[in-house]
Amino acid sequence: MEQSRGDWGDQVSRAWAITPFAVELSALSEVELVPLLDYLSDRPRLPFRYLSVHGPSKGRESDEAELVAQLCDLAGWCDGIVMHPDTMTNVDLYKALGRQLLIENMDARKCSGRTPDELAPLFADLPDAGFCFDIAHAWSIDRSMSVAGELLDMFGGRLRQVHLSSLSDDLHHVSLTEDHEDLFGPALERCVDVPWILEAPPRAVH
Amino acid sequence: MAPNAESPLVRLASDSRRDFKNLLSARQRTSDGLLNRRGQLAGLDHDKDASVVLMGSWGRAEVTAGSDDDFMLLVDGPERPGASPSIDAIADVLDTPPGSQGAFGEPVFCDRLVEDIGLDRDSNTNLTRRMLFLLESVPLTAAAVYSGGRDRILERYLDESVKDYRPPRFLLNDVVRYWRTVCVDFAGKEREGPEKWGIRNAKLRTSRKVLFAGGLLPVLESSRFDREAMPAFLREQFDMPPTDRIAAAFLNHGAIDAGSRTLGAYDEFLGLLDDSSFRDELEHLTREEAGKSDAFARVGRLGRELQAGLLALLFETESALPELVREYAIF
Repeated sequence: MEQSRGDWGDQVSRAWAITPFAVELSALSEVELVPLLDYLSDRPRLPFRYLSVHGPSKGRESDEAELVAQLCDLAGWCDGIVMHPDTMTNVDLYKALGRQLLIENMDARKCSGRTPDELAPLFADLPDAGFCFDIAHAWSIDRSMSVAGELLDMFGGRLRQVHLSSLSDDLHHVSLTEDHEDLFGPALERCVDVPWILEAPPRAVH
Repeated sequence: MAPNAESPLVRLASDSRRDFKNLLSARQRTSDGLLNRRGQLAGLDHDKDASVVLMGSWGRAEVTAGSDDDFMLLVDGPERPGASPSIDAIADVLDTPPGSQGAFGEPVFCDRLVEDIGLDRDSNTNLTRRMLFLLESVPLTAAAVYSGGRDRILERYLDESVKDYRPPRFLLNDVVRYWRTVCVDFAGKEREGPEKWGIRNAKLRTSRKVLFAGGLLPVLESSRFDREAMPAFLREQFDMPPTDRIAAAFLNHGAIDAGSRTLGAYDEFLGLLDDSSFRDELEHLTREEAGKSDAFARVGRLGRELQAGLLALLFETESALPELVREYAIF
Protein backbone atom coordinates (compact mmCIF):
# COMPACT_ATOMS: atom_id res chain seq x y z
CA MET A 1 0.00 0.00 0.00
CA GLU A 2 3.13 2.12 -0.22
CA GLN A 3 1.91 3.64 -3.49
CA SER A 4 -0.90 5.45 -1.64
CA ARG A 5 1.42 7.25 0.79
CA GLY A 6 0.10 10.77 1.33
CA ASP A 7 -2.81 10.31 -1.07
CA TRP A 8 -5.61 10.22 1.47
CA GLY A 9 -8.37 10.10 -1.09
CA ASP A 10 -6.82 7.02 -2.66
CA GLN A 11 -6.34 5.35 0.74
CA VAL A 12 -9.99 5.99 1.57
CA SER A 13 -11.23 4.73 -1.80
CA ARG A 14 -9.16 1.56 -1.57
CA ALA A 15 -10.36 0.89 1.96
CA TRP A 16 -13.98 1.63 1.05
CA ALA A 17 -13.80 -0.95 -1.72
CA ILE A 18 -13.04 -3.60 0.91
CA THR A 19 -15.20 -2.54 3.85
CA PRO A 20 -17.29 0.41 5.00
CA PHE A 21 -16.57 -0.43 8.64
CA ALA A 22 -12.97 0.41 9.45
CA VAL A 23 -10.01 2.23 7.97
CA GLU A 24 -6.57 3.30 9.13
CA LEU A 25 -4.93 6.25 7.42
CA SER A 26 -1.15 6.31 7.57
CA ALA A 27 0.93 9.39 8.23
CA LEU A 28 4.18 7.51 8.64
CA SER A 29 6.35 10.59 8.41
CA GLU A 30 5.90 13.85 10.28
CA VAL A 31 5.41 15.92 7.16
CA GLU A 32 2.25 14.00 6.39
CA LEU A 33 0.48 15.00 9.62
CA VAL A 34 -0.63 18.51 8.65
CA PRO A 35 -1.89 17.47 5.19
CA LEU A 36 -3.83 14.63 6.82
CA LEU A 37 -5.39 16.99 9.36
CA ASP A 38 -6.30 19.35 6.52
CA TYR A 39 -7.84 16.46 4.60
CA LEU A 40 -9.94 15.26 7.54
CA SER A 41 -11.06 18.69 8.69
CA ASP A 42 -11.90 19.95 5.21
CA ARG A 43 -14.80 17.62 4.52
CA PRO A 44 -17.74 15.87 6.18
CA ARG A 45 -16.71 13.07 8.49
CA LEU A 46 -15.69 9.95 6.62
CA PRO A 47 -18.45 7.32 6.61
CA PHE A 48 -16.45 4.54 8.28
CA ARG A 49 -17.66 3.23 11.64
CA TYR A 50 -14.07 3.25 12.88
CA LEU A 51 -11.15 5.43 11.80
CA SER A 52 -7.63 5.28 13.14
CA VAL A 53 -4.48 7.11 12.13
CA HIS A 54 -1.03 5.55 12.10
CA GLY A 55 1.35 8.17 13.49
CA PRO A 56 4.93 8.80 12.33
CA SER A 57 7.18 5.78 12.61
CA LYS A 58 10.28 6.91 10.71
CA GLY A 59 12.41 9.95 10.10
CA ARG A 60 11.40 11.71 13.27
CA GLU A 61 13.00 15.15 13.46
CA SER A 62 10.56 17.65 14.99
CA ASP A 63 10.15 18.54 18.62
CA GLU A 64 8.24 15.72 20.34
CA ALA A 65 5.87 18.07 22.18
CA GLU A 66 4.96 19.63 18.85
CA LEU A 67 4.40 16.17 17.38
CA VAL A 68 2.08 15.18 20.23
CA ALA A 69 0.16 18.45 19.85
CA GLN A 70 -0.41 17.61 16.18
CA LEU A 71 -1.51 14.10 17.10
CA CYS A 72 -3.97 15.55 19.63
CA ASP A 73 -5.44 17.72 16.87
CA LEU A 74 -5.83 14.62 14.71
CA ALA A 75 -7.40 12.70 17.60
CA GLY A 76 -10.45 14.94 17.32
CA TRP A 77 -11.10 13.41 13.90
CA CYS A 78 -10.52 9.73 14.60
CA ASP A 79 -10.99 6.92 17.10
CA GLY A 80 -7.35 6.10 17.74
CA ILE A 81 -3.75 7.10 16.99
CA VAL A 82 -1.37 4.16 16.48
CA MET A 83 2.23 4.69 17.61
CA HIS A 84 5.32 2.51 17.64
CA PRO A 85 6.92 2.27 21.09
CA ASP A 86 10.43 2.91 19.74
CA THR A 87 9.38 6.32 18.38
CA MET A 88 8.18 7.54 21.78
CA THR A 89 10.93 9.16 23.85
CA ASN A 90 9.22 11.43 26.35
CA VAL A 91 6.40 9.06 27.25
CA ASP A 92 4.64 11.48 29.59
CA LEU A 93 3.80 13.75 26.66
CA TYR A 94 1.60 11.05 25.16
CA LYS A 95 -0.71 11.00 28.19
CA ALA A 96 -2.51 13.89 26.50
CA LEU A 97 -3.89 11.39 23.97
CA GLY A 98 -5.59 9.41 26.75
CA ARG A 99 -7.29 6.23 25.62
CA GLN A 100 -7.02 7.30 21.98
CA LEU A 101 -3.33 6.41 21.99
CA LEU A 102 -2.85 2.87 20.65
CA ILE A 103 0.54 1.27 21.16
CA GLU A 104 1.56 -1.34 18.61
CA ASN A 105 3.77 -4.38 19.31
CA MET A 106 6.95 -4.44 17.23
CA ASP A 107 8.51 -6.99 14.89
CA ALA A 108 11.78 -8.89 15.11
CA ARG A 109 13.77 -6.09 13.44
CA LYS A 110 13.30 -3.90 16.50
CA CYS A 111 15.06 -4.32 19.80
CA SER A 112 12.18 -3.24 22.05
CA GLY A 113 8.37 -3.17 22.24
CA ARG A 114 8.10 -6.73 20.99
CA THR A 115 7.00 -8.85 23.93
CA PRO A 116 4.76 -8.47 26.97
CA ASP A 117 7.75 -7.83 29.21
CA GLU A 118 9.10 -5.14 26.89
CA LEU A 119 5.73 -3.41 26.52
CA ALA A 120 4.61 -3.64 30.15
CA PRO A 121 6.59 -0.61 31.44
CA LEU A 122 5.19 1.57 28.65
CA PHE A 123 1.61 0.57 29.38
CA ALA A 124 2.27 1.09 33.08
CA ASP A 125 3.33 4.67 32.32
CA LEU A 126 0.32 5.16 30.02
CA PRO A 127 -2.55 3.51 31.90
CA ASP A 128 -5.24 4.79 29.52
CA ALA A 129 -3.48 3.73 26.32
CA GLY A 130 -4.99 1.02 24.14
CA PHE A 131 -3.26 -1.85 22.35
CA CYS A 132 -2.91 -2.30 18.59
CA PHE A 133 -2.12 -5.99 18.12
CA ASP A 134 0.01 -6.61 15.03
CA ILE A 135 -0.32 -10.36 14.70
CA ALA A 136 2.34 -10.67 12.00
CA HIS A 137 4.83 -8.79 14.18
CA ALA A 138 4.09 -11.26 17.00
CA TRP A 139 4.65 -14.15 14.55
CA SER A 140 8.05 -12.69 13.59
CA ILE A 141 9.08 -12.91 17.24
CA ASP A 142 7.76 -16.41 17.86
CA ARG A 143 6.47 -18.62 15.07
CA SER A 144 4.73 -20.93 17.54
CA MET A 145 2.42 -17.95 18.27
CA SER A 146 2.98 -18.27 22.02
CA VAL A 147 4.06 -14.63 22.24
CA ALA A 148 0.88 -13.64 20.38
CA GLY A 149 -1.16 -15.42 23.03
CA GLU A 150 0.86 -13.86 25.82
CA LEU A 151 0.37 -10.38 24.37
CA LEU A 152 -3.39 -10.95 24.33
CA ASP A 153 -3.30 -12.42 27.84
CA MET A 154 -1.45 -9.37 29.11
CA PHE A 155 -2.98 -6.53 27.12
CA GLY A 156 -6.24 -8.03 25.79
CA GLY A 157 -8.29 -5.75 28.02
CA ARG A 158 -6.79 -2.75 26.19
CA LEU A 159 -7.13 -4.20 22.70
CA ARG A 160 -8.76 -1.74 20.32
CA GLN A 161 -7.68 -2.98 16.88
CA VAL A 162 -5.69 -5.63 15.03
CA HIS A 163 -3.14 -5.24 12.22
CA LEU A 164 -3.52 -8.25 9.96
CA SER A 165 -1.14 -9.45 7.24
CA SER A 166 1.66 -11.90 6.63
CA LEU A 167 5.31 -10.83 6.42
CA SER A 168 7.81 -11.29 3.64
CA ASP A 169 11.27 -12.73 4.27
CA ASP A 170 12.56 -9.22 4.89
CA LEU A 171 9.61 -8.60 7.28
CA HIS A 172 7.52 -6.34 5.09
CA HIS A 173 3.75 -6.66 5.18
CA VAL A 174 2.27 -8.84 2.44
CA SER A 175 -1.15 -10.36 1.86
CA LEU A 176 -2.23 -12.90 4.45
CA THR A 177 -1.26 -16.35 3.28
CA GLU A 178 -3.47 -19.41 3.64
CA ASP A 179 -0.98 -20.97 6.05
CA HIS A 180 -1.00 -17.88 8.24
CA GLU A 181 -4.77 -17.69 8.13
CA ASP A 182 -4.82 -21.11 9.79
CA LEU A 183 -1.92 -20.37 12.12
CA PHE A 184 -3.30 -17.02 13.25
CA GLY A 185 -6.85 -18.32 13.65
CA PRO A 186 -6.82 -19.10 17.39
CA ALA A 187 -5.38 -15.67 18.27
CA LEU A 188 -7.75 -13.86 15.91
CA GLU A 189 -10.73 -15.63 17.48
CA ARG A 190 -9.86 -13.71 20.63
CA CYS A 191 -10.20 -10.43 18.76
CA VAL A 192 -13.58 -10.78 17.07
CA ASP A 193 -15.04 -7.63 18.61
CA VAL A 194 -12.40 -5.13 17.44
CA PRO A 195 -11.62 -3.76 13.95
CA TRP A 196 -9.11 -5.71 11.85
CA ILE A 197 -6.97 -3.47 9.68
CA LEU A 198 -5.47 -5.21 6.64
CA GLU A 199 -1.88 -4.05 6.21
CA ALA A 200 -1.68 -5.51 2.72
CA PRO A 201 -4.35 -6.08 0.06
CA PRO A 202 -6.43 -9.20 0.63
CA ARG A 203 -5.20 -12.30 -1.13
CA ALA A 204 -6.96 -13.04 -4.40
CA VAL A 205 -9.36 -15.94 -3.86
CA HIS A 206 -9.69 -18.32 -6.77
CA MET B 1 -26.30 -7.48 45.52
CA ALA B 2 -22.82 -6.75 46.85
CA PRO B 3 -20.00 -8.27 44.79
CA ASN B 4 -19.42 -11.94 45.55
CA ALA B 5 -17.21 -14.65 44.15
CA GLU B 6 -20.16 -16.44 42.54
CA SER B 7 -21.07 -13.41 40.46
CA PRO B 8 -20.45 -13.99 36.73
CA LEU B 9 -19.04 -10.46 36.52
CA VAL B 10 -16.50 -11.27 39.24
CA ARG B 11 -15.63 -14.54 37.50
CA LEU B 12 -15.16 -12.73 34.18
CA ALA B 13 -12.95 -10.20 35.94
CA SER B 14 -10.88 -12.99 37.44
CA ASP B 15 -10.62 -15.00 34.19
CA SER B 16 -9.59 -11.94 32.17
CA ARG B 17 -7.42 -10.31 34.84
CA ARG B 18 -9.50 -7.14 34.95
CA ASP B 19 -10.96 -5.45 37.97
CA PHE B 20 -14.14 -3.70 36.70
CA LYS B 21 -13.56 -1.38 39.60
CA ASN B 22 -16.37 1.06 38.78
CA LEU B 23 -18.99 -1.65 38.31
CA LEU B 24 -17.98 -3.47 41.46
CA SER B 25 -17.81 -0.33 43.54
CA ALA B 26 -21.24 0.68 42.22
CA ARG B 27 -22.51 -2.72 43.33
CA GLN B 28 -21.15 -2.10 46.80
CA ARG B 29 -22.72 1.37 46.85
CA THR B 30 -26.03 -0.19 45.73
CA SER B 31 -25.85 -2.83 48.43
CA ASP B 32 -25.08 -0.29 51.16
CA GLY B 33 -27.81 2.03 49.92
CA LEU B 34 -30.40 -0.75 49.86
CA LEU B 35 -29.57 -1.68 53.44
CA ASN B 36 -29.92 1.91 54.51
CA ARG B 37 -33.21 2.49 52.69
CA ARG B 38 -34.73 -0.78 53.89
CA GLY B 39 -34.09 0.42 57.42
CA GLN B 40 -35.68 3.78 56.65
CA LEU B 41 -38.80 2.21 55.12
CA ALA B 42 -39.26 -0.43 57.83
CA GLY B 43 -41.41 1.93 59.86
CA LEU B 44 -43.93 2.59 57.08
CA ASP B 45 -47.24 0.74 57.26
CA HIS B 46 -47.66 -1.57 54.27
CA ASP B 47 -50.74 -3.25 52.84
CA LYS B 48 -49.95 -6.95 52.80
CA ASP B 49 -49.95 -7.02 48.97
CA ALA B 50 -47.69 -3.95 48.53
CA SER B 51 -43.96 -3.78 47.87
CA VAL B 52 -41.73 -0.77 47.41
CA VAL B 53 -39.44 -1.51 44.46
CA LEU B 54 -36.39 0.43 43.30
CA MET B 55 -35.77 0.69 39.57
CA GLY B 56 -33.13 2.05 37.18
CA SER B 57 -29.56 2.10 38.39
CA TRP B 58 -30.66 0.41 41.64
CA GLY B 59 -32.07 -2.50 39.70
CA ARG B 60 -28.90 -2.70 37.62
CA ALA B 61 -26.75 -2.48 40.79
CA GLU B 62 -25.03 0.52 39.23
CA VAL B 63 -25.73 3.33 41.66
CA THR B 64 -23.47 6.34 41.13
CA ALA B 65 -23.30 9.72 42.85
CA GLY B 66 -25.98 11.20 40.58
CA SER B 67 -28.50 8.33 40.81
CA ASP B 68 -32.11 9.08 41.75
CA ASP B 69 -34.23 6.85 43.96
CA ASP B 70 -36.52 5.77 41.12
CA PHE B 71 -39.16 3.72 42.93
CA MET B 72 -42.40 1.95 42.18
CA LEU B 73 -45.15 0.99 44.61
CA LEU B 74 -46.13 -2.46 43.35
CA VAL B 75 -49.50 -3.82 44.45
CA ASP B 76 -50.08 -7.49 43.71
CA GLY B 77 -53.76 -7.40 44.57
CA PRO B 78 -57.09 -5.73 43.75
CA GLU B 79 -57.01 -2.30 42.18
CA ARG B 80 -58.13 0.28 44.71
CA PRO B 81 -57.52 3.83 45.83
CA GLY B 82 -55.47 4.52 48.93
CA ALA B 83 -52.94 1.69 48.71
CA SER B 84 -50.45 1.91 51.54
CA PRO B 85 -47.78 3.15 51.86
CA SER B 86 -48.65 6.17 49.76
CA ILE B 87 -46.33 7.49 47.05
CA ASP B 88 -45.87 10.69 49.07
CA ALA B 89 -44.97 8.78 52.23
CA ILE B 90 -42.30 6.78 50.37
CA ALA B 91 -40.95 9.92 48.69
CA ASP B 92 -40.64 11.61 52.08
CA VAL B 93 -38.36 8.82 53.28
CA LEU B 94 -36.11 8.41 50.24
CA ASP B 95 -33.19 10.77 49.57
CA THR B 96 -33.72 11.76 45.96
CA PRO B 97 -37.11 10.53 44.75
CA PRO B 98 -38.06 11.17 41.12
CA GLY B 99 -40.76 13.69 40.26
CA SER B 100 -44.41 12.72 40.61
CA GLN B 101 -44.78 12.58 36.82
CA GLY B 102 -43.68 9.65 34.71
CA ALA B 103 -44.29 5.93 34.84
CA PHE B 104 -44.05 5.53 38.59
CA GLY B 105 -45.93 8.51 40.03
CA GLU B 106 -48.84 6.27 41.09
CA PRO B 107 -49.23 2.74 42.46
CA VAL B 108 -48.68 0.01 39.88
CA PHE B 109 -51.16 -2.84 40.03
CA CYS B 110 -49.70 -6.14 38.98
CA ASP B 111 -52.97 -7.23 37.35
CA ARG B 112 -52.48 -4.55 34.70
CA LEU B 113 -48.90 -5.66 34.06
CA VAL B 114 -50.04 -9.27 33.66
CA GLU B 115 -53.37 -8.91 31.89
CA ASP B 116 -52.67 -5.98 29.56
CA ILE B 117 -49.87 -7.32 27.41
CA GLY B 118 -50.36 -6.20 23.81
CA LEU B 119 -53.26 -4.41 22.13
CA ASP B 120 -54.42 -0.88 22.97
CA ARG B 121 -54.61 -1.40 26.73
CA ASP B 122 -50.87 -2.05 26.85
CA SER B 123 -49.91 1.60 26.87
CA ASN B 124 -46.35 2.85 26.55
CA THR B 125 -46.44 3.39 30.34
CA ASN B 126 -47.67 -0.14 31.06
CA LEU B 127 -45.00 -1.68 28.82
CA THR B 128 -42.32 0.45 30.46
CA ARG B 129 -43.46 -0.50 33.96
CA ARG B 130 -43.58 -4.21 33.13
CA MET B 131 -40.22 -4.35 31.40
CA LEU B 132 -38.35 -2.30 33.97
CA PHE B 133 -39.90 -4.40 36.74
CA LEU B 134 -38.79 -7.57 35.00
CA LEU B 135 -35.35 -6.46 33.77
CA GLU B 136 -33.99 -3.86 36.22
CA SER B 137 -35.65 -3.74 39.62
CA VAL B 138 -34.95 -4.75 43.19
CA PRO B 139 -37.34 -4.96 46.15
CA LEU B 140 -36.89 -2.56 49.02
CA THR B 141 -39.73 -4.03 51.08
CA ALA B 142 -41.94 -7.13 50.97
CA ALA B 143 -39.66 -9.26 48.80
CA ALA B 144 -42.26 -12.04 48.68
CA VAL B 145 -44.83 -9.69 47.10
CA TYR B 146 -42.17 -8.58 44.59
CA SER B 147 -41.27 -12.18 43.66
CA GLY B 148 -44.90 -13.19 43.43
CA GLY B 149 -45.68 -10.34 41.06
CA ARG B 150 -42.70 -11.12 38.88
CA ASP B 151 -43.63 -14.82 38.78
CA ARG B 152 -47.12 -13.94 37.58
CA ILE B 153 -45.67 -11.93 34.70
CA LEU B 154 -43.31 -14.74 33.77
CA GLU B 155 -46.16 -17.27 33.89
CA ARG B 156 -48.15 -15.10 31.51
CA TYR B 157 -45.26 -14.92 29.06
CA LEU B 158 -44.42 -18.61 29.41
CA ASP B 159 -47.89 -19.73 28.43
CA GLU B 160 -49.00 -22.77 26.45
CA SER B 161 -47.33 -21.42 23.30
CA VAL B 162 -43.86 -22.08 24.70
CA LYS B 163 -42.03 -25.04 23.21
CA ASP B 164 -39.24 -27.14 24.70
CA TYR B 165 -35.75 -26.01 23.73
CA ARG B 166 -36.97 -22.93 21.87
CA PRO B 167 -36.76 -19.33 23.07
CA PRO B 168 -40.16 -18.14 24.38
CA ARG B 169 -41.24 -15.92 21.49
CA PHE B 170 -43.92 -13.99 23.39
CA LEU B 171 -41.39 -12.75 25.94
CA LEU B 172 -38.68 -12.33 23.28
CA ASN B 173 -40.93 -10.13 21.16
CA ASP B 174 -41.89 -7.96 24.12
CA VAL B 175 -38.25 -7.48 25.19
CA VAL B 176 -37.33 -6.48 21.63
CA ARG B 177 -40.44 -4.28 21.41
CA TYR B 178 -39.43 -2.49 24.60
CA TRP B 179 -35.90 -1.76 23.30
CA ARG B 180 -37.28 -0.42 20.02
CA THR B 181 -39.83 1.65 21.98
CA VAL B 182 -37.05 3.21 24.02
CA CYS B 183 -35.22 4.11 20.79
CA VAL B 184 -38.34 5.55 19.13
CA ASP B 185 -39.27 7.47 22.28
CA PHE B 186 -35.79 9.01 22.30
CA ALA B 187 -36.61 10.61 18.96
CA GLY B 188 -40.07 11.61 20.23
CA LYS B 189 -38.61 13.29 23.32
CA GLU B 190 -36.12 15.20 21.18
CA ARG B 191 -38.97 16.59 19.12
CA GLU B 192 -40.65 17.80 22.33
CA GLY B 193 -37.53 19.72 23.32
CA PRO B 194 -33.73 19.60 23.32
CA GLU B 195 -33.39 19.28 27.11
CA LYS B 196 -31.27 16.39 28.33
CA TRP B 197 -30.55 15.21 24.77
CA GLY B 198 -26.93 14.48 25.66
CA ILE B 199 -27.52 12.32 28.71
CA ARG B 200 -30.41 10.50 27.04
CA ASN B 201 -28.27 9.76 24.00
CA ALA B 202 -25.39 8.60 26.22
CA LYS B 203 -27.67 6.24 28.14
CA LEU B 204 -29.22 4.90 24.95
CA ARG B 205 -25.73 3.94 23.76
CA THR B 206 -24.80 2.34 27.09
CA SER B 207 -27.09 1.57 30.01
CA ARG B 208 -30.26 1.15 27.88
CA LYS B 209 -28.32 -1.18 25.60
CA VAL B 210 -27.05 -3.15 28.58
CA LEU B 211 -30.62 -3.42 29.84
CA PHE B 212 -31.79 -4.76 26.47
CA ALA B 213 -28.91 -7.23 26.16
CA GLY B 214 -29.53 -8.27 29.76
CA GLY B 215 -33.06 -9.24 28.74
CA LEU B 216 -32.38 -10.61 25.27
CA LEU B 217 -29.58 -12.99 26.26
CA PRO B 218 -31.45 -14.90 29.01
CA VAL B 219 -34.49 -15.24 26.75
CA LEU B 220 -32.36 -16.69 23.93
CA GLU B 221 -30.51 -18.90 26.43
CA SER B 222 -33.86 -20.31 27.59
CA SER B 223 -33.67 -22.56 24.56
CA ARG B 224 -31.25 -24.77 26.51
CA PHE B 225 -34.20 -25.92 28.66
CA ASP B 226 -37.51 -27.68 28.33
CA ARG B 227 -40.57 -25.62 29.15
CA GLU B 228 -40.77 -26.98 32.69
CA ALA B 229 -37.29 -25.70 33.53
CA MET B 230 -37.55 -22.30 31.81
CA PRO B 231 -39.30 -20.37 34.61
CA ALA B 232 -36.66 -21.31 37.17
CA PHE B 233 -33.86 -20.39 34.76
CA LEU B 234 -35.39 -17.01 33.98
CA ARG B 235 -36.09 -16.28 37.67
CA GLU B 236 -32.46 -17.06 38.46
CA GLN B 237 -31.29 -14.81 35.63
CA PHE B 238 -33.56 -11.90 36.56
CA ASP B 239 -32.44 -12.15 40.18
CA MET B 240 -29.02 -11.06 38.90
CA PRO B 241 -28.16 -7.56 37.66
CA PRO B 242 -28.03 -7.21 33.85
CA THR B 243 -24.22 -7.01 33.84
CA ASP B 244 -24.10 -10.45 35.51
CA ARG B 245 -26.45 -11.88 32.89
CA ILE B 246 -24.24 -10.47 30.14
CA ALA B 247 -21.02 -11.65 31.80
CA ALA B 248 -22.55 -15.13 32.19
CA ALA B 249 -23.32 -15.23 28.46
CA PHE B 250 -19.75 -14.26 27.52
CA LEU B 251 -18.40 -16.93 29.89
CA ASN B 252 -20.82 -19.62 28.68
CA HIS B 253 -19.96 -19.00 25.04
CA GLY B 254 -16.19 -18.92 25.47
CA ALA B 255 -15.83 -15.24 24.64
CA ILE B 256 -13.86 -14.12 27.67
CA ASP B 257 -11.64 -11.65 25.79
CA ALA B 258 -14.53 -9.90 24.10
CA GLY B 259 -16.51 -9.99 27.35
CA SER B 260 -13.73 -8.31 29.27
CA ARG B 261 -13.53 -5.49 26.72
CA THR B 262 -17.31 -5.11 26.45
CA LEU B 263 -17.88 -4.82 30.17
CA GLY B 264 -14.61 -2.92 30.47
CA ALA B 265 -16.01 -0.21 28.18
CA TYR B 266 -19.19 -0.12 30.24
CA ASP B 267 -17.16 0.01 33.45
CA GLU B 268 -15.32 3.02 32.08
CA PHE B 269 -18.60 4.73 31.18
CA LEU B 270 -19.91 4.15 34.69
CA GLY B 271 -16.75 5.68 36.15
CA LEU B 272 -17.22 8.75 33.98
CA LEU B 273 -20.89 9.03 34.97
CA ASP B 274 -19.84 9.10 38.60
CA ASP B 275 -17.92 12.32 37.87
CA SER B 276 -20.31 15.24 38.42
CA SER B 277 -18.64 17.55 35.89
CA PHE B 278 -18.81 14.86 33.19
CA ARG B 279 -22.45 14.14 33.99
CA ASP B 280 -23.29 17.85 34.04
CA GLU B 281 -21.76 18.31 30.59
CA LEU B 282 -23.95 15.55 29.20
CA GLU B 283 -27.04 16.78 31.09
CA HIS B 284 -26.83 20.15 29.36
CA LEU B 285 -25.68 19.00 25.94
CA THR B 286 -27.87 19.50 22.88
CA ARG B 287 -27.53 17.79 19.52
CA GLU B 288 -26.19 21.01 18.00
CA GLU B 289 -23.31 21.19 20.50
CA ALA B 290 -22.54 17.46 20.57
CA GLY B 291 -19.82 17.63 17.91
CA LYS B 292 -17.74 19.92 20.10
CA SER B 293 -18.12 17.93 23.33
CA ASP B 294 -15.21 15.79 24.53
CA ALA B 295 -17.54 14.04 26.96
CA PHE B 296 -19.91 13.09 24.16
CA ALA B 297 -17.04 11.88 21.97
CA ARG B 298 -15.81 9.67 24.80
CA VAL B 299 -19.26 8.21 25.35
CA GLY B 300 -19.58 7.62 21.62
CA ARG B 301 -16.36 5.61 21.52
CA LEU B 302 -17.25 3.60 24.63
CA GLY B 303 -20.73 2.97 23.28
CA ARG B 304 -19.31 1.64 20.01
CA GLU B 305 -16.94 -0.68 21.90
CA LEU B 306 -19.81 -1.93 24.04
CA GLN B 307 -21.96 -2.58 21.00
CA ALA B 308 -19.14 -4.23 19.06
CA GLY B 309 -18.58 -6.64 21.93
CA LEU B 310 -22.25 -7.52 22.23
CA LEU B 311 -22.51 -8.02 18.47
CA ALA B 312 -19.47 -10.28 18.55
CA LEU B 313 -21.12 -12.34 21.27
CA LEU B 314 -24.37 -12.59 19.34
CA PHE B 315 -22.93 -13.16 15.87
CA GLU B 316 -19.30 -14.31 16.03
CA THR B 317 -18.98 -16.87 18.82
CA GLU B 318 -18.39 -20.53 18.11
CA SER B 319 -21.61 -21.58 19.80
CA ALA B 320 -25.33 -21.98 19.23
CA LEU B 321 -25.96 -18.31 19.92
CA PRO B 322 -25.44 -16.95 16.36
CA GLU B 323 -27.87 -19.55 15.04
CA LEU B 324 -30.44 -18.58 17.67
CA VAL B 325 -30.05 -14.90 16.81
CA ARG B 326 -30.47 -15.61 13.13
CA GLU B 327 -33.51 -17.81 13.67
CA TYR B 328 -35.35 -15.83 16.33
CA ALA B 329 -34.07 -12.29 16.85
CA ILE B 330 -35.03 -10.66 13.58
CA PHE B 331 -38.45 -12.11 12.60
